[in-house]
Amino acid sequence: MGKGFKHSSTSENSCSGPRTSRVLYVRTDLLNRLQQPKYKAYSLKRMIQDFQSQTVNFKYTQGISDILLSGASRLLVVSNIDLKTNTPITKPSEFLKSSFRGFVLNINNDYRYMKTGYYVSLHAEILGNDVEPTTENAVDAYRPPIFLTRASKNGAPTMPFIVTDSVKQIIAEFAFPVVVFAVNPFSFNGFQTAKNRTALYRAVKSLSMNYRYAVCVQPLRGEIVSCKSFFGESPSEDGGIKEIAKKVYQTFRLPVCKLYIQRFDGKVYLCGLQPLKIDEITPLDVRLISKIVSRISGKGWFD
Amino acid sequence: MTRIACFVEKYNFAYSDEAEALETFRRTAQRMGHEFNFIFRNGLSEIPKYEAVFIRATTDPLYTAYVVSKTAWELGLKVVDDPVSIRICANKIHQYRLFEKYGVPHIPTVFLSKGEFHHRQIAEIFEIFGKPVVIKAPYTSFSKYVEKASCETSFREVAKRFFRRSDYIVVQKFMPSRFDWRVGVLNGEVLYVCKYMMPKGKWKHGVKRRGKPSFVWGRTVTLKRDNAPQRLKETALKACSIIGKGLYGVDIKEVNGDYVVVEVNDNPSIYKGQEDLRDKDIYEKIIKFLAE
Repeated sequence: MGKGFKHSSTSENSCSGPRTSRVLYVRTDLLNRLQQPKYKAYSLKRMIQDFQSQTVNFKYTQGISDILLSGASRLLVVSNIDLKTNTPITKPSEFLKSSFRGFVLNINNDYRYMKTGYYVSLHAEILGNDVEPTTENAVDAYRPPIFLTRASKNGAPTMPFIVTDSVKQIIAEFAFPVVVFAVNPFSFNGFQTAKNRTALYRAVKSLSMNYRYAVCVQPLRGEIVSCKSFFGESPSEDGGIKEIAKKVYQTFRLPVCKLYIQRFDGKVYLCGLQPLKIDEITPLDVRLISKIVSRISGKGWFD
Repeated sequence: MTRIACFVEKYNFAYSDEAEALETFRRTAQRMGHEFNFIFRNGLSEIPKYEAVFIRATTDPLYTAYVVSKTAWELGLKVVDDPVSIRICANKIHQYRLFEKYGVPHIPTVFLSKGEFHHRQIAEIFEIFGKPVVIKAPYTSFSKYVEKASCETSFREVAKRFFRRSDYIVVQKFMPSRFDWRVGVLNGEVLYVCKYMMPKGKWKHGVKRRGKPSFVWGRTVTLKRDNAPQRLKETALKACSIIGKGLYGVDIKEVNGDYVVVEVNDNPSIYKGQEDLRDKDIYEKIIKFLAE
């Protein structure tokens, strides 16, 4: 904050709270922006509020400007998770109002279509930036049939699957037990397992919302385990699971997700993907993410 | 000869006009020497057998239609509506952001996030746009999830419902008109032009009757595409050019002699005796595009 500008007199008049001499330091080019005609109409109070948020913004952007990723572009980390890293983090709501140019790393617990995580990637793309993950990948990863097709194309082991809304077709195709994933716009990408006909009817009825939408069915041979994946790194001990998490990350580049994996006969098969809930991310996970982000940005991290 | 798969759902055959149009597509394709089969959601495994896929079921990235489109796209088939168009057109926020970026004239629009949903923000919106305003969910189609609000209470009630599925919603200026222009565009060329009239005393093309499950639809008045205003066609083509090269239906409002884009829809409805009334060759053109 070297190039400072003292703005104490106006802020004393308009700011609520303790009226001690509050000083806002603003970079000169931000001041120039405020000279623009579109800002003239702002009321003084509004201006001060914007000033304050700009000061915060400034603190972030200052650190990023000298980070170079892959030689050329600037890196911005947008995250709704509080990371313990020295890399400056922008909140999604702030980013959606900004017009940053450079590479955007979007860390969010949920990239589902029409959620904030998705709109962050969308905003970055509309500004013409490279972003991870892209909106295309964000949509595809949460659609079970596309997810399985693309992952297996990239070398991840998967079970065969069918998309249908007919129980008869499922019974004709696979032996019990089976695992049913929803392909509808509403559910939290849930799945149900069915060991017999009655259970299958119930599962299909509920996940297809009374047969309005389709479901994606795979045979269930072993047991389903879930594991978290952060940038393709999984806290799991199993080597096969680690390999799958890596493959999924290479395909879809979702920084944060939860994988469902079928373990059968000593082998592992990819089953499905879900967003993580915010309270599923433990302090240990935050440490892992922070470490990776620091590695990418070349800045340190703290505990 | 091209093998064309037409992805449909049961509801596509619910209205006789739509069913007849689908039948016309099939007959036209066969007359032109192509194979044309309907596939339903249980027949997704058959997609690799075909060379082109034509989607007629409602498209949305969260529906089976997107799975079909993406699967075919990955296999390198020709797809109408391609996955990119579906992603842009199904999300009105994506669309209006592109309009803003590329300077397509559109209805004055603001986006409202779940986090900013409070009294001051609502008051500000009313101040800018006046009362009433139109609230749209990003996933709107067939005039559903588009509602009018003229006070804060109803604004909150509508917005709360739309926020259930999306973290952002669209708020637009209310521009009443007797009709919306609908321009069908295929591969950067105007396919058909018609007017979607509003039902009497209503403000949008399809309205649910209060307390009843049924919808009231306005009339469709069709023009010959050569007779339609040139500036209208130019506006429609400009809006489509930023989305892609496929089949689109552009809704345009005429305001004081100016044309403003309301929205671009992928998968525009084509009904027998409505969109095809004046230009009978639209079926051939679409089949030809698929078979290329």
